[in-house]
Amino acid sequence: MHSDGRFLTFGLFVVFILITLGITLWARANTRDADDFYAGGRAFSGPQNGLALAGDYMSAASFLGIAGIIALSGYDGFLYSIGFLVAWLLTLLLVELMRNAGRFTMADVLSYRARRQPRVRTAAAVSTVTVSVFYLLAQMVGAGALVSLLLGIHPGETFLGLSAGSAKVLTIIVVGMMMVFYVTYGGMKGTTWVQIIKAVLLMAGTTVLTVLVLGRFGFNLSDMLGAAAEASGRSADFLQPGLKYGREIEGDPLRTLINKLDFISLAVALVLGTAGLPHIVSRFFTVPDARAARTSVNWAIGLVGLFYLMTLALGFGATAVVGQEAITAQDPAGNTAALQLAHTLGEFAGGPLGGDILLAFIGAVAFATILAVVSGLVLASSTSLAHDYFGHVLMLGRPRESQEVAVARFAAFLVGALAVVLAVVARNLNVAFLVALAFAMAASANLPAIVLSLFWRRFNSTGVVAGIYGGLLGSLLLMAFSPVVSGKIDPATGASLSLLPAGVDFHVFPLENPGLVSIPFGFLCAVAGTLLSREKADQERYDELSVRALTGTGSHRAAHRRPPRRK
Amino acid sequence: MAETPRRAAVPGEFTALAQDDRFRLLRTRFRRLACTLVASFLGWYFLYIALSAFARDFMARPAFGHINMALLLGVLQFVSTFLLAWRYTRYARRMLDPLSAQLRDEAGRRQAEREHIERVMAERRRIENWTRG
Repeated sequence: MHSDGRFLTFGLFVVFILITLGITLWARANTRDADDFYAGGRAFSGPQNGLALAGDYMSAASFLGIAGIIALSGYDGFLYSIGFLVAWLLTLLLVELMRNAGRFTMADVLSYRARRQPRVRTAAAVSTVTVSVFYLLAQMVGAGALVSLLLGIHPGETFLGLSAGSAKVLTIIVVGMMMVFYVTYGGMKGTTWVQIIKAVLLMAGTTVLTVLVLGRFGFNLSDMLGAAAEASGRSADFLQPGLKYGREIEGDPLRTLINKLDFISLAVALVLGTAGLPHIVSRFFTVPDARAARTSVNWAIGLVGLFYLMTLALGFGATAVVGQEAITAQDPAGNTAALQLAHTLGEFAGGPLGGDILLAFIGAVAFATILAVVSGLVLASSTSLAHDYFGHVLMLGRPRESQEVAVARFAAFLVGALAVVLAVVARNLNVAFLVALAFAMAASANLPAIVLSLFWRRFNSTGVVAGIYGGLLGSLLLMAFSPVVSGKIDPATGASLSLLPAGVDFHVFPLENPGLVSIPFGFLCAVAGTLLSREKADQERYDELSVRALTGTGSHRAAHRRPPRRK
Repeated sequence: MAETPRRAAVPGEFTALAQDDRFRLLRTRFRRLACTLVASFLGWYFLYIALSAFARDFMARPAFGHINMALLLGVLQFVSTFLLAWRYTRYARRMLDPLSAQLRDEAGRRQAEREHIERVMAERRRIENWTRG
């Protein structure tokens, strides 16, 4: 990469940061109470919130990661795209009920009919923070690696006096400071606008790349796929499932079956996890009513669907136009495929300068994507810590609103600091599996509690608590004893493909994603907890919850600002 | 904080609403819709996943040009998601929204009436106290 291009990339980063800082300061001036801080005053329109939902959801892992997997392993990367989209239908079903019944967080819905409020709130806060921190860690470690790649700092080189290693640490710290700033100053208003800008940038960037790459093949998808299959050297196999997931190993039917079950486990976690992700759920409350919430999910389905369809063109296009050798030379995991595609396409269109400009633009889009997603996650966890744990457990639901918001700001700082420290420690580890794990945890811990709270008359607080802790611990333990943590070894080189170095092996659970076992286990715990406890469900409250959820009676509306009352 | 009251303003009000025939109709319709939607999208998604895992030969069959069954079915997952979301929304607008709006408005009116009566009573007590004092 030319150094001019680097400065252009760097300059665009700075422009994005300045614009979002401006928005955040504006949002600060317009944030007065808890409704503003947690839910953006419930004043966003359906389409605006739809853009923000899509912005919260489409992480750098999916933009760069899926393009990379498709570019290197072909069709199998596309399976992620499909799971990530189909999951939204479940969200569409739940969004109106949750918007009507809740106020700021998932726990508002779970504790509505629970007799033991504090326990339910605590469990929900623990689950929210755990899922968010795992997801956050994956994004921040990715950000460190990405920015040094974006700025083109190879090992041994320096840029503005930074080596690749120190650039990584510095990036993690800067990203951490930015996200804490967005959340503490901007609250939900500021973060939502950051998401909207990011979603528009990301859609624009992917559309430009898709049009350019398809244009190279006369807008004939089949021709592009043929060229990609040929360039990969694996001909038609490249366009079929099975190169990466569910691999068939000849002469080893057991291994083959495990690989296939692992693939199914991943698919289950992807499709059931979305509706339980805390940063998605907290976005349901930023619109005036259930109807707007439905509209926003429909917008998100449209945007997310278009985006993931385009990952086909980005991934296969990168194989056909850039070539796998050039991609793995930059990054063995393929995360730079989309960026290299941008550089090459820019060069075709406008010479070396064109290449630099398009690369800088796509690089800035990727950077915006990371910043937006991490701030959404920090906001969700600090909201839950302040509103659920501080507000309803420590202060028994009687804190002053201003106190709660102050605690939320402080919690954002704590969560941010924790994420930065963890990410710096883990900066050289392969933590890409954490994204799929966060989906599995959300599906195992949160989804059973949400669905049973809304639809099962007998469900009680013991059930909620058992379901959340059971699903959470189940998925965590299964992961700890799975091949992603220890014992997975590259048969060719003998190097470790797990988190821990080769030689350490304590894995007993064969699947890499725990979803297939932990999601049914979460449901089982929720049901067993309910049936085994002697606590009786509050029938009247259940009726109230059903009426409110389905009709919207008494739901929290956008605040009508009244002039101060005269004495 | 403006927390939702732990109990309904009038005991049994929500229970009465929950017994209302129109509410029961609304709930039945929603549940039927939810079951249909979940069964169709999860069934179709897992069929596709099972085919990807266990029917590789079928998925490898060319559909047209270099586009094989795997890609065709994958893109159809996108199309079906868009279609299901559209159908769900259309059904909700026609069959659910009018019912829920009616119930919500009635509950809102009752609430407003109650508040009005409370205000009047409070005013009356105030005047009584004043005349006595």
